Amino acid sequence: MATRKLLATGVLVLTIGSSVNAADSDIDRLRATQASFRAVADHMRPFLVRIETVGGSQPPELVLADPDSAGSEDGRPRRRTQFRDAPGSDFVVADGPTTGIVYSSDGYIVASSFNFVRQPLLISATFADGRRLAAELVARDQVRKIALLKVETTGLTVPTWRQDDDVCVGEWAVALGLGFGGSHPSVTAGIISALNRMHGNAVQTDAKLSPANYGGPLCDIQGRVIGICVPMAQRPGELAGIELYDSGVGFAVPKSRVDEIVAALREGGSIYRGWLGISIDPRSADAVRILKLADPSPMRSAGARSGDRILWAEGRELRHFGDLVQTLYMIPAGEPVYLHLARTVEQMEYVDIAGVPALIPRHASQVELCVQLTLARNTELGELLDQATEPFDPSMPLPSSNDENTP
Amino acid sequence: MIARLPKRADLVASAIAAALLAVPNPGRCEDTGFDRAIDAATQRVVKLYGMGAGLAAGYGTGVIVSADGLVITVSSLLIDAQTIRAVDAGGRQFEAEVLHRDRKRQLALLRLHTPTGENDAVPTPISHSLPFVDLDSETELRPGDWVVAAGNAFKVADGPEPVSIAHGIFSARTRLDARRRVKDFPYRGDVLVIDAITSNPGGPGSALVNLDGAFVGMIGRSVTSNMTHTHFNYAMPRDVLLDFFREATDPAVRADAAAARNESAGSEAPDLGIRMAKVGYQQKLAFVERVRRGSPAAKAGVRKDDLILAIGSRNVADVDDYLAQIKRLRADEPVDLVVRRGKRILTLRVAPGGG
Repeated sequence: MATRKLLATGVLVLTIGSSVNAADSDIDRLRATQASFRAVADHMRPFLVRIETVGGSQPPELVLADPDSAGSEDGRPRRRTQFRDAPGSDFVVADGPTTGIVYSSDGYIVASSFNFVRQPLLISATFADGRRLAAELVARDQVRKIALLKVETTGLTVPTWRQDDDVCVGEWAVALGLGFGGSHPSVTAGIISALNRMHGNAVQTDAKLSPANYGGPLCDIQGRVIGICVPMAQRPGELAGIELYDSGVGFAVPKSRVDEIVAALREGGSIYRGWLGISIDPRSADAVRILKLADPSPMRSAGARSGDRILWAEGRELRHFGDLVQTLYMIPAGEPVYLHLARTVEQMEYVDIAGVPALIPRHASQVELCVQLTLARNTELGELLDQATEPFDPSMPLPSSNDENTP
Repeated sequence: MIARLPKRADLVASAIAAALLAVPNPGRCEDTGFDRAIDAATQRVVKLYGMGAGLAAGYGTGVIVSADGLVITVSSLLIDAQTIRAVDAGGRQFEAEVLHRDRKRQLALLRLHTPTGENDAVPTPISHSLPFVDLDSETELRPGDWVVAAGNAFKVADGPEPVSIAHGIFSARTRLDARRRVKDFPYRGDVLVIDAITSNPGGPGSALVNLDGAFVGMIGRSVTSNMTHTHFNYAMPRDVLLDFFREATDPAVRADAAAARNESAGSEAPDLGIRMAKVGYQQKLAFVERVRRGSPAAKAGVRKDDLILAIGSRNVADVDDYLAQIKRLRADEPVDLVVRRGKRILTLRVAPGGG
């Protein structure tokens, strides 16, 4: 009996002891986490650059021509095409500071293209040590919302990056930015919510992101860069993503993609959104039916016609226009795209009517075609035309008719 | 017998353990690490109920700043009510009277009373002392630190129920640049940006504390940031509340503050000797059109066609912003002008007094 009691007392002491320890270790764990958040900010500070622009965000009624496109060197407002990137947007970009990260020791800086909707008059880059240098806009990626800047300097220190494959859902993510001004970065924290979002262009985090972080790093708890915070959304537009500010849904472009983009921007200039060059029939709510095609356009070259339905894009079944937009808008111009089209055709047949050969319709049937095309830049598209009324010529094979046709 | 004994012993042991554990932590789950912060914050706020109209919530939160029932909250329609009701963490009911309102900071100081009976001529002071936050005690707060906000968000805390808790981290201390609907928000001073969603109806007036439960700020009025164009989650820092509290409770301090404001408003703007270009686009950038010979700007080396980017650490957005900023310069304090000349950025030190 006595031993039993002793044992019971031992258990009791143990229970209390471990409970008290648990309480202590819980607050200690939180203390350790906040110390890590602080340490990430301190560690990253030397790699952060405050980017300020002058004259990069005029009111929307004065939208200037794309500074990188041909024929706009005069800087005069250009006729708006039917292929606007941000229809009806009256959002004014703030002129406040944004954030950049030192990408290479010889002065390349990766930043958000958020403040470079138009070519600014001047870009100023302020480093952690207080040095302020004029930066040049090398090129922009309209799709991933990244800008590459260059300052004339050498010997910059570069942060450590995380390999994409090592990043795990659920791990801590700390977002830093200099958008609130001052010398210390603002810090928000959360976890990695998902990988491979937006066609593999982004990791998702619930750390609150807003213009205060755009262009800034999303770091792991050890102060390594997971990606660059950018505004993204499930629809296109220069300013898309503003509806997700501070929402708990934020995106960062991961290392491998950043490396790819920077290499492309350094060599080939800006990266643009890709376009098919079609307008969609709004009356067909249940299908993506082509109303008009631009001539020239990738879709025209691929042999599509007005009235064709797009069934699949990039392996995804489309139910309405939004599906198509969502599938394609993260794919830049110059990249290939696979589409699956359907066309209703009248099968015609030669028959002999009283000794005279005649062409008569037999029955309507659906022909499906797979096409591969290369997305074009907005500026490469021609005028929108209704191209359904071409006369039927039985001697002309259907476009891509070597693909499998099902009756 | 042998088989039953350990069970009974375990029962006794766990009963004692539960009793012991219950003492520091009544009716709660095990400590998550936030308990100290949650306790400190919830005990020191009152839920407020007053006037509401349209989009203005008729409820809010206030922070208790003295044992005898002084409460700071935001200046809003709520406190225009004939009767403001307050409920503390223990569910006790009070009436609140507005002692002072600050239009600039959008803050108000209230005093809690025991609810008046129908025949009471004067309000009755409260009969017991309340837990309160010490505005005077300084706490180090660094970006990345955990914070906990306690308040009457969406008035989900019914009757005597404890207020709602939100947690997040402190992101940055910055100057507020915001608006309420179409009007600019009058307070342009420092705020604490946090990454918890606190800009909810009823949220303004919530207490913000750190992990140790030390008071660091109070959630401010709901505003839309001019930078993000979304609801901004921020708190008025403790030191700003302290300044307000001193002005609100001490007429001498209030008079001094008013005098200081008049002085700065009435003082002559230093003339740097720069004339700004009037040519304009939509945004009139601060291009220098002419520099008067022998002027402070000329001595500093400012030239025609320089573009003024910043004065000291503050950026210059356009000509109007430049004019507004030089009004705040003092003749006896040299200041750095950051200008763009050609492709370079230069920093030029100007002595506004001419020295």
